[in-house]
Amino acid sequence: MVCPEGCIVEQEDEFFIPDYDYCKGCGLCAGECPAEDIEMTKEEK
Amino acid sequence: MMHFIEGSIAVAQAVRLCRPDVVSAYPITPQTHIVEALAEMVADCALDAEYMTVESEFSALSACLGAVAAGSRAYSATTSQGLFLMFEVCFNLAGMRLPMVMTVANRAISAPISIWNDQQDSISLRDSGWLQFYAEDNQEAADLHYLAYKVAEDHRVLLPAMVCFDGFILTHTYEPVDMPTQEEVDAYLPKFIPLARLDAQDPISFGMLANPDYYMEFRYSNDQAIHRSKEKIREYGKEFGAKFGRDYSAFVEGYALEGAETVLVAMGSICGTVKEAIDEMRAAGKKVGLLKIRVYRPFPVEEVAAALKGAKRIAVLDKNISLGSKGAVALEVKDALYGSGIPVLDYIVGLGQRDIRKRDVARIVELAEKGEGDLFYGLREGVA
Amino acid sequence: MAIDKTLELFDCGHRACGGCGPALAARLILKAAGPNTIVVSATGCLEVFSTPYPETVWKVPWIHSLFENQAAVGSGIEAALKKQGRKEKVVVIGGDGATFDIGMLCISGAFERGHDFTYICLDNEAYMNTGIQRSGATPLDAHTTTSPAGKCSTGNRRPKKDMPAILAAHGAPYVATTSLAYPNDLMQKVERAIDVKGPSYVQVHSPCATGWGFEGDRTMVVGKLAVETGLVVLFEQTDGVITKVKKVVRKPVEEYLKVQKRFAHLFKPQRNDTEIARIQAIADANAAKFGIDIKLKKPAEKPQA
Repeated sequence: MVCPEGCIVEQEDEFFIPDYDYCKGCGLCAGECPAEDIEMTKEEK
Repeated sequence: MMHFIEGSIAVAQAVRLCRPDVVSAYPITPQTHIVEALAEMVADCALDAEYMTVESEFSALSACLGAVAAGSRAYSATTSQGLFLMFEVCFNLAGMRLPMVMTVANRAISAPISIWNDQQDSISLRDSGWLQFYAEDNQEAADLHYLAYKVAEDHRVLLPAMVCFDGFILTHTYEPVDMPTQEEVDAYLPKFIPLARLDAQDPISFGMLANPDYYMEFRYSNDQAIHRSKEKIREYGKEFGAKFGRDYSAFVEGYALEGAETVLVAMGSICGTVKEAIDEMRAAGKKVGLLKIRVYRPFPVEEVAAALKGAKRIAVLDKNISLGSKGAVALEVKDALYGSGIPVLDYIVGLGQRDIRKRDVARIVELAEKGEGDLFYGLREGVA
Repeated sequence: MAIDKTLELFDCGHRACGGCGPALAARLILKAAGPNTIVVSATGCLEVFSTPYPETVWKVPWIHSLFENQAAVGSGIEAALKKQGRKEKVVVIGGDGATFDIGMLCISGAFERGHDFTYICLDNEAYMNTGIQRSGATPLDAHTTTSPAGKCSTGNRRPKKDMPAILAAHGAPYVATTSLAYPNDLMQKVERAIDVKGPSYVQVHSPCATGWGFEGDRTMVVGKLAVETGLVVLFEQTDGVITKVKKVVRKPVEEYLKVQKRFAHLFKPQRNDTEIARIQAIADANAAKFGIDIKLKKPAEKPQA
């Protein structure tokens, strides 16, 4: 709901997965998730 | 049918016959009679349009922009300061290839403030991408509106058009004007069919951001479109002639050009005075003629060069001035005649409706014969 | 009418900063508006990041003209639709610069003429797209590049222009303030605004991580603090009468100010008591005017042993 990109999509198993081609890593989803189920992990190159 | 009416009313009637969906109006002298007449028509149900009394000319043209983008035929009228307040919108609207017609009742520009006629206002918008037509009399002023809508809305063109006619001299003068019937105009000018419009059934985006990789092609495509309009002006101007008896396929009109040594070049109502002056001069044996320019944008380079090639000298009457340079018409005529060796002399005349009489035209011809040009003609004594 | 929250009419792939408030707001607005909408945008962050030719995120018809004429363009579209007998809704979206400042003329005219459209202001409290300059919506003491804090300045010298009141004074049948920190409230009010006949105004408080100086993942937290301190009041006004106000257990303004770099100068090198007090006074005045304070029941005193 709170993703400014609108890139988190509900999958068949009712889990929400972000589309990593469009995710900017802002972390709003992690901050707001009431189930505290999202963890932000830094992607190191 | 012939009517003896004021220029503004003739234009308002012509606009009514074009069936605009949306009219947005802001009053400014000397265009006010046009928008007032249209308001009366709407109030009397003689014109079925949404009439918006906007809070400034800036909004007037912006509202038209929205209306055309949504697929409606739109109209507005302005002059001078009002046109300048629309400046930004003019370029934006043309850039988005939205066709409409706007009447410009040519008036001088501030400062100093003047309500009187000259052509500085519309000339200053010559870079905007709008087609520009200049009317010599009220018949042309009315007729050019039907032509302008038809050309503008053609899918090979899709550009806005200005119909310019001289403030007070034409707007407030009564002349006999032949007005066609609604059926006749409907047969000439069909309903507006946009190429693309704002429509929830088929969403598109208008007016996007173009970065350096894309911007230039848009401006090129606009330039191509305005050049393409020439063929449509010819085609629809000819069709107008066939249907109404007055042919508008030519961008320029010669008067007494045969054997003319000095040719005057002018736009708008001044041509009437010039023609009468030429008649007198010809009767006295002077070989002088006039090239009237009716379409200024796109500029008819080939037609001007062809018409003027036999002349010994050209005297351009410019009712405008590009400060720091010359009159706008002279600059274009010079460009058209480049390489011909024919001298082009520029006379800035009639600014702020400074009177031009037949004898002034004759004096200008004398000055041209002496090779004295590139000056402001008719200044008060003791000034420069 | 139920809002289809799964509808995505504002696609991803736009170029906004990570955590952008207005981007989220636009997405939510379009969910509430639905597909039968024509959107007019003013120049600004939203317009620039959402339509880099040849890409566009807008799945509804969209038009951008100039910075200041969106309300006039919207008026023209509304008139054309009316004349053509079409039912699409016109939604005009502008930032605070476009709305409070340069677009005032056109908005005033459009509201005065009573066009049936909805004007939504995405208020991130400065001209962000051009690099964070002060606008009429910039709050008191905020640091922007044209109202910087310095040796002789505590930042922006003027309080926020009361735009909702100005448009209510035009006789707008529906005026509402919202915050993207309360997305369901936002969507409901947008839906209502669109349904109301005549000109409606919805102001959306949209925190800007880049402009206000906080991390992108804190957009919602900062937005909530603005409301909880009373600096932003969420209300609904129908035909001139305030019909709904969000009540809060008020926090001191300091809690909101200290999490944003644009107010850092009020705390370093030392706490600026005077200015913080002035800002607190604004919050207090809001609280009094709108009646936002929840009066918590005091726990009963234990009898002395």
